[in-house]
Amino acid sequence: MLKRAQWFDLARQLDWKFSYVDEVDVFPVETAGQPWLPREEWAGWDEPFRTTYTEYVNTQHEKEAALAAVQESAGRREDFAKLPREWLSAVKLHTATLPLAEFAAVVGNLRAARFGRTSAWRTTALFGALDEFRHTQIPLLLMQDLVAQDPQFDWTHRLYHSNNWVAIAARHLVDELLYGASAIEFAVATNFVFETGFTNLQFVGLSALARQVGDRMFEKMLGSIQSDEARHAQIGEPVLRTLVKHDRDYAQYLVDKWFWRSWLLFAVVTGFAMDYLTPLRHRTSSFKDFVKEWVVDQYLRMLEDVGLTRPWYWPMFEEALNNYHHLVYASAYTYRASVWFDLVVPGPDERRWLRQQYPDSWDAIDPIWERIGARWKVTDPDNDFGVHGTAIIGFCNLCQLVLCNGTPHKNGATTLQKDGQKYIFCSEPCRWIFEQEQSRYAGHKDVVKRVLAGEAPANLVAMLRGYFGLSFEDWGKDACGGKYPWATRTR
Amino acid sequence: MIPLYGFLEGDSLGLLILAREDDTLARLAERLQSAAELRVAPLKMPCVVVAGRTLDPEMTVAAAGLTPLDKFEVRGDDR
Repeated sequence: MLKRAQWFDLARQLDWKFSYVDEVDVFPVETAGQPWLPREEWAGWDEPFRTTYTEYVNTQHEKEAALAAVQESAGRREDFAKLPREWLSAVKLHTATLPLAEFAAVVGNLRAARFGRTSAWRTTALFGALDEFRHTQIPLLLMQDLVAQDPQFDWTHRLYHSNNWVAIAARHLVDELLYGASAIEFAVATNFVFETGFTNLQFVGLSALARQVGDRMFEKMLGSIQSDEARHAQIGEPVLRTLVKHDRDYAQYLVDKWFWRSWLLFAVVTGFAMDYLTPLRHRTSSFKDFVKEWVVDQYLRMLEDVGLTRPWYWPMFEEALNNYHHLVYASAYTYRASVWFDLVVPGPDERRWLRQQYPDSWDAIDPIWERIGARWKVTDPDNDFGVHGTAIIGFCNLCQLVLCNGTPHKNGATTLQKDGQKYIFCSEPCRWIFEQEQSRYAGHKDVVKRVLAGEAPANLVAMLRGYFGLSFEDWGKDACGGKYPWATRTR
Repeated sequence: MIPLYGFLEGDSLGLLILAREDDTLARLAERLQSAAELRVAPLKMPCVVVAGRTLDPEMTVAAAGLTPLDKFEVRGDDR
């Protein structure tokens, strides 16, 4: 029997010159991606894991066994019932946002497994597709068991099938990133930017917090998923290096576009969890510090290493790092019935901590919480709609998220009038992305345009029930019912 | 009614405000402040800024040239 070293390289790089068809017909530019290059240009493609199918199956089997053991010992309903309520909101946010996106990533990986330009790339992408199946199934399985005691966990599966505003924004990203991208754009956007650049935030940073909180099941689930991500993310860099060599401007455009789009998603999903939904006593560092450690330093090094520069909008990103997730959280709190998880008001101790962590921005944000806290002091406990917004919210025509970029002093929204249509964007980078590929984005209606077209109700409660798919049982409430020790009633 | 995107200084997000063509800009500022009162205390001297220009509070929405889905800001002074 041949030893691994004797057959592996031949089997892994099993590409040949086609004789019956043209190479461009086998790998059309629409699905393989641009620039279209002959196979010789991809011949040096490599990634460090160099896994065989047997090794893949054996490793995954071990991971599954380890996870099952943790589920048996720490993943029962009574284990979740012991966890802080606000932390469970972080779990609900994560588990609703990611699993069905992971399923879309199966499709993206399968496209690369067919249209990637070398067999080694295609094989690694096939493993990636199998990974993403697993990442879909694990949270669905674990959270399904909790639906009976808390209907908000049902949103693990429901979110992407709804017209909830978060789902509209998430689908807008996922459809393009995972369903609509060519193999090359998928490798740069998903494998390099999203997975190498950002997922450590969620799968390492949040996993560490889960450990602090005592949520062993969530910690192990994230850790197990990250070990897969770390492998298939390696597809990105060699694809990007080839792209830089042949079309540097396009490579720079793709990484800049997807860094901004990925950032907005993680700012919400991870930013909420780290700075608001993790109990203060368990926090080890701020979201900003996690981003600096796990995203900024590492990502900029990687960009430089492949011959690219930091995005043109970097000063706006740095401003957003101090403000954006805070402004989205404050907005979401005052429209919490529009989401499927409960939120909390940061009390005096939390606000003191936030001021220490965000000395450049918190003073402008704090008055919003002062005002909200004052409202609770004159509102009966559990009267959630006494401390809730009612006006219609504006949404960005690119990212589909609320118009929360910039600072409280100066919102970063910007407009565009083109071909007789008016558009609004939360930020200059969102407008820039839209303008680069207007035909791709222009036909999509945000929530406001759906309301104005009569496709969605304008009344808030009608929208929550009839359009966002929520009901009183599962829509978001104040996690403490407004009964905070610092909120002494003044009437 | 004209739907406009309103941004109040001190607030965390932009809101959709329904205005009438004959509303004064002072009234428009009131509408936005009322919609955002849960998060932002009333400004002492609110002024309406459109396309970087501070406009006369007695000017109407129509005279200010605001049409559906335009953007306006309400700020606490006339910077």
